[in-house]
Amino acid sequence: MMRIGKNACRSGKGIFMGAAVLMFLISTPGHAKKPEAHKALPPRAITVSPAFTGVVISQGEDVNIDLLVTNGGRKDENIDLSLSSVPQGWKARIKTYDFGVTGVYVKSDETKTLTLRVVPDKAVQPGDYPVDIRACTQDDRLTSTARVMVTVREKKEEKEPEGVEIITSYPVLKGPTDGQFEFSIEIENKSDQDSIFNLAAAGPENWEISFKPAYEDKYISSLRLKADQRQTVAVEVKPDHRAEPASYAIEVAVNSAKARAQAALTVILTGTYKLDAGTANGLLSLNAVRGEQANLSFYVQNNGSATLHNVRFLSFKPENWKVEFTPKSIDVLPPQQLEQIEVAIIPAEQALVGDYSVGLRAECGNPPKAEKTIELRVGVTASAAWGWIGIGIIVLVMASLVIMFIRLGRR
Amino acid sequence: MQGLYAVFTKELQDHFSSFRFAILFALIAMVSFITSYMAAIHLSENLENLSSTRFPFLTLFSTPGAVFSMVQFVAFFGPLIGLVLGFDAINRERAQGTLIKVVSQPIYRDAVINGKFLAGVATISIMLTSIVLVITGFGLAIVGVVPGVGEIGRLIIYLVISIFYVSFWLGLSILFSILLKSVATSALTSVALWIFLSFFVTLGAEAVANSVAPVDPNKNVPPEMVIQNAKIKKMVSLCSPMVLYNDATATIIDPMRNTTRSLVLMGPMEELLSSRFQNPLALTQSILVVLPYITVLIAITLVCFTVSYLVFMLQEIRT
Repeated sequence: MMRIGKNACRSGKGIFMGAAVLMFLISTPGHAKKPEAHKALPPRAITVSPAFTGVVISQGEDVNIDLLVTNGGRKDENIDLSLSSVPQGWKARIKTYDFGVTGVYVKSDETKTLTLRVVPDKAVQPGDYPVDIRACTQDDRLTSTARVMVTVREKKEEKEPEGVEIITSYPVLKGPTDGQFEFSIEIENKSDQDSIFNLAAAGPENWEISFKPAYEDKYISSLRLKADQRQTVAVEVKPDHRAEPASYAIEVAVNSAKARAQAALTVILTGTYKLDAGTANGLLSLNAVRGEQANLSFYVQNNGSATLHNVRFLSFKPENWKVEFTPKSIDVLPPQQLEQIEVAIIPAEQALVGDYSVGLRAECGNPPKAEKTIELRVGVTASAAWGWIGIGIIVLVMASLVIMFIRLGRR
Repeated sequence: MQGLYAVFTKELQDHFSSFRFAILFALIAMVSFITSYMAAIHLSENLENLSSTRFPFLTLFSTPGAVFSMVQFVAFFGPLIGLVLGFDAINRERAQGTLIKVVSQPIYRDAVINGKFLAGVATISIMLTSIVLVITGFGLAIVGVVPGVGEIGRLIIYLVISIFYVSFWLGLSILFSILLKSVATSALTSVALWIFLSFFVTLGAEAVANSVAPVDPNKNVPPEMVIQNAKIKKMVSLCSPMVLYNDATATIIDPMRNTTRSLVLMGPMEELLSSRFQNPLALTQSILVVLPYITVLIAITLVCFTVSYLVFMLQEIRT
């Protein structure tokens, strides 16, 4: 509400200012504007002229040229327009936006713009074709003629229908199978008419291809473009997750009633990167005596569709612990292949008894394209060796006691 | 064997009918019951504070009710039982002239000392077992928690360690009663040794540790220094049987304790990864952790008795 009030106030001020300027102008006559009015105009003068006096078209194309009708006299005029000569087999007419025109009213010292539309017949041969336009005042006192020379050139073979064009800045994308590809295409309406274009795409089976306006999150299947407008459209491609790693072609087509354009896009699938790891029986705990080696074997499986290279193994372990993998790494792991890895875990000599968490991690690529971590519960137990030594000491003491009983007893 | 049995039964009769035993037993039993009772009625509060208590029954023994917990109380005053039972074992007989009379019977000399020691051990066992059983009964009645197999196992181990601990003091006092002719002297000597070993060794340990590896709380001391200080303190204080007993029983009674050390140097990863699973130790693991302590306790008890046996057997007793 405040803003409206302010605006009203400001516009009120503007009116005041304008009024002040106007008064100033009126009070100083014979300045600025007046000389134009005094320009020496003939009593009556009209001209008709096309914006272009010569045009070149291909066979089968139409011509639309602006036609300027000027009244150079001091008197307003009604001007009749006619096409005095049209080549044979051509259709020509003068029109505004929607309807044909035979006459036009032009005020003094003004120009009206009309459209001259010339449509050649399909059979028209290449050559020069003059179109004459005649304009005259209603009382036939003044006339003006103009000529447009239309040169028809031979149509080139297999020429794409002009009117719409697709520009792809990067037509080839590469990525993993479980990824999503987004092409950016630019659609340009080259015709002089607004029209609705249907968007269609053809790709491999079970692939999802959809169109989105750039930077918007909705799917579209058609697009309205004004004359000479261009619009960027994103083509989102979701490959079938079972697709083999290969190169796939996608055809994108833009159709309107009159025009059609196609573009070829290519998706190169590198497959998916997935690693799985676990133990054979699913058990993720083991016991280890401190300072002594405990063994565990686990498997690593390539669950993706791409071959993994250089799968490394890492461990998350307490300080002073040793975790060793055999083999240390796998150079090549084809899809669905299973590898068994032996792990030797040596808890520190000083480790406390109890449960520790030790993480084993397999990863591939840098930064990791695929990784899997399994967490183990390692129960550290005390070595029973010292226990036996303790019991040994007690037995020794007992034995000495018994010896004493035998030697000194019965006195 | 006949002689040993006669001495054993006679000694037991004496123990159980003597006034001082009754008074001492009454005192210790009363304090134990009060401690456990207090622990039991505060158990619900204590359980709220403990993050994971899977052994509520054992907390009856390990949580301090009034001033001491049951375990600590036995550690401090259990030795008194042993001392009182043994400080006049031999020298009173000798002073009253009854030792010669006994030996003139068809009773061998080793039967006298064996019988006396065994009778003391039996008395101690009966006493401690009954106290533990009564507290267990308390726990069942007040808390309503039934102990599991692991808990019963831990209690039995605890009981065995306690019996050996008190028997050590019994053996020590018997040794003094053999070595020293006067009853009063042997009583005073054993009490003095008890006070020294139980209370002054820990103080001395702290003094030694601070002089060797000074740790100033106001200054930034490297962790290695703190650890060394703790190590020296531990080493010296382990001369005290009470510390041995305390560490052993605390680990046995509390399954979550996985070390007897008070300070442990840990890396950040080790700390993180060891706190991931908070599981109690198995009983065998707890025993293995404190086995050196238990071994030493049993060994010193046996050594103490062996020395008294040796001295008594080689002594001239007829005069």
